[in-house]
Amino acid sequence: MAVKIITDSLSDITGDLVKKLRINVVPLYVRFGEEVYRDRIEMTTDEFYRRLVTDTVFPSTTQPTPHDFLAIYQELAKETDEILVITLSSQLSGTYQSALQAKNLLEGKCRIEIVDSQTAGMGLGLIVISTVEAARKGASLGELVDFVQRAMGRSHLIAYFDTLKYLAKGGRIGKAQGFVGSVLSFKPILTIKDGVISPVTRLRSRAAGIDYLYNSVANYPDIEALAVEHCTTPDDAEALIERLGSFFPRERIYQSTISPVVGAHAGPGALAITVLEAEKA
Amino acid sequence: MKQVNSLGGQDLREMFVAAAGWLEKSSSEIDALNVFPVPDGDTGTNMLLTMRSLVEEAYRAPDHSAAAVAQAMAKGALLGARGNSGVILSQILRGLAQGLTEKETFTAVELASALQQSAATAYSGLSNPVEGTMLTVIKDVAAAVQAQVSGGGDDLVLLMEAAVDAAGESVGNTPNLLQVLREAGVVDAGGQGLYTILEGALRYLRGEVEQMRFRKPQIIVGNVHATKLPEMIAADEDPYGYCTEFLLKGEKIDTDRIKKKLEKKGESLIVVGDEAAVRIHVHTLDPGEVLTYAADRGTMHQVSIRNMDEQHQDYLEMQKEKTPAVNIGIIAVVVGEGLTEVFTSLGASVVVPGGQTMNPSTKDLLQAVERVVSDKIIMLPNNKNIMATANQVQSLTEKTIAVVPTITIPQGVAALLAFDYEVNLETNTQLMQKAASVVKSIEITRAVRATQLGGLEIKKKQPIGFLDGDLVAVADSTDDVLDQVLVRLDLGKAEVVTIYGGADIEADEVEQMGSGLREKYPQLQIEVIQGGQPHYDYIVSVE
Repeated sequence: MAVKIITDSLSDITGDLVKKLRINVVPLYVRFGEEVYRDRIEMTTDEFYRRLVTDTVFPSTTQPTPHDFLAIYQELAKETDEILVITLSSQLSGTYQSALQAKNLLEGKCRIEIVDSQTAGMGLGLIVISTVEAARKGASLGELVDFVQRAMGRSHLIAYFDTLKYLAKGGRIGKAQGFVGSVLSFKPILTIKDGVISPVTRLRSRAAGIDYLYNSVANYPDIEALAVEHCTTPDDAEALIERLGSFFPRERIYQSTISPVVGAHAGPGALAITVLEAEKA
Repeated sequence: MKQVNSLGGQDLREMFVAAAGWLEKSSSEIDALNVFPVPDGDTGTNMLLTMRSLVEEAYRAPDHSAAAVAQAMAKGALLGARGNSGVILSQILRGLAQGLTEKETFTAVELASALQQSAATAYSGLSNPVEGTMLTVIKDVAAAVQAQVSGGGDDLVLLMEAAVDAAGESVGNTPNLLQVLREAGVVDAGGQGLYTILEGALRYLRGEVEQMRFRKPQIIVGNVHATKLPEMIAADEDPYGYCTEFLLKGEKIDTDRIKKKLEKKGESLIVVGDEAAVRIHVHTLDPGEVLTYAADRGTMHQVSIRNMDEQHQDYLEMQKEKTPAVNIGIIAVVVGEGLTEVFTSLGASVVVPGGQTMNPSTKDLLQAVERVVSDKIIMLPNNKNIMATANQVQSLTEKTIAVVPTITIPQGVAALLAFDYEVNLETNTQLMQKAASVVKSIEITRAVRATQLGGLEIKKKQPIGFLDGDLVAVADSTDDVLDQVLVRLDLGKAEVVTIYGGADIEADEVEQMGSGLREKYPQLQIEVIQGGQPHYDYIVSVE
């Protein structure tokens, strides 16, 4: 029996890709005041960003409950006895904890391994995609856990934010705290390092920020997969993908929208690029 | 949501049970904020332990009246108070209990008035109340709830919402009131703890107990940027000595007299309680003396003496995990209040005053190098005349110094912005140098005497303009000079123009120049900052 793979909605793997990979994606929650929505299911990405900008209530985000995971474990346990769960960074969300708690609630002899990816967005998404391929080649559950851990070192997410306002408000600014409170305005470049939001550098304009994302891909000579995602600016993402075509086959670049759960912290206008380096032979 | 008009003792207790649970979730993060009065990183833990003792005692209340529960909680808080923050928290509870005396239940008006009492009692317990701490937060909360009921609000949920909002705002403002917080770039830990407690209580009232299990309290982010590394916060201070605290039980204990007596024995003194039980907390170099004095006045319980210098070391260890892994310090030579703020808020470790008419000495720069904790230092001289001095420093120190040859303020800012947290000193120096070379710097000043230079006829006091250090323009007004310089540049490739107004220029003049440029070049992003630099009326960067 093949190992079944589960991730959460912060992997930014959506729509047809979910079906193609045959994985399960557990949604986090977005909350506006007392209204609670399941990420991307009960509220579309477009609708969310429209409200983020116009609504007076600042949205908050919540991890899936253990029962959300348990329901999927129980469903999958009918057809497999090995499940691999890859979650976003446990330092950004309690999703990993929920997945662990659910494991303890599951009866039966299905083996479950849960890995904290220490990243999010396509940083997580590309790890999952690569792991699915490894699973299809017949890797065992134990081998897959090792595979994920190695892939974590190969996955590099670099994000451009238009503003740090939302990140600071949401309390997840992590090590980029030093970027807050500047007299001079700038556009931050951030990454997720050891599971925490970390500063990279600062630029004066959006165009310079997007250039930085483009140039950072050149640092990696051997790329297995590449992803570009955006919150509210599909045209900018499209233009960036077009330019990246010079490094990497354009049609193989994954394109996605940043999950509203992340978007609540990133704010409108954010763009991110993820490089999954090829595994060294 | 349903309106809540009155609450009894059981609800009061459950509010605090929820608050304790809520606080527990972020107590370690609150520990990490702790820099005042002593950066020993235990505020969250101390407040949590105090809350636990309070909750435990709440269940021992003789009946379910609000008065009895509040009384029991106040007693529990006093008996279990730990640390400065715990003792102040116990005072807040004591005030609350006094405010709710003889009340079976309480209304919004009554709770608001009890919180006034809390604020007053909290202040009265300290011999030397300091603003920018949880004292300020409880005071602001008391004022906000008073305003809420004065406006006719009688819903307790709305009252608590007002309290939480006010607390949040007040916590965010603490760095503006207390320098040590500002330098460390954190909000007050005790204030944050109090905010979290109030928020926990509010969530209980809103019926969110279930959701609380899966959520975490938010740590308020102050709008400040650290100018000192954690190691530096304590660097200039004397040894902290011992945090000495205990409960003194006896008969007819005179708290005022004890307070007066112990005031001279140490810092951060708190003496609170009643005739039968008094909690004493003091930071002293000689705990023996304090204990000997107290032993004559009653029996001592829960005696705790902790070496704060040791605690401070633990705190530093804790901070290492929190701060970015930057081991490179940056020293910039800058003059002008606004410009200094620009550099420090962008992460310069030390700003050495200096510029066109006042060049710092090698010794000034060397002292700055010694003040920076890092072994690797990047220097931004920001002036041609300071370059040689900056280059000399390397021969006088064991630390590694890299000078990025910035000769104007805009170059310095561009270099600083480009600092990359992910790369080493060498690569950073290259990146910063490259960023500095791309920016165009315009400096506008007035001619000190009549002269002829570079084909320009210049009268005394006439505005003149430099582009990247070269004199290129003269005119009768600064606006015209700026125009003359700007036309020499290819603005089609530019994106951002930043104008720094000088010390002699009024803020609205700078604004006017900014609006003028915005009108003329609508495609550019124009930013205006009051730089406060002497000598140059305007410094303008074009990027």
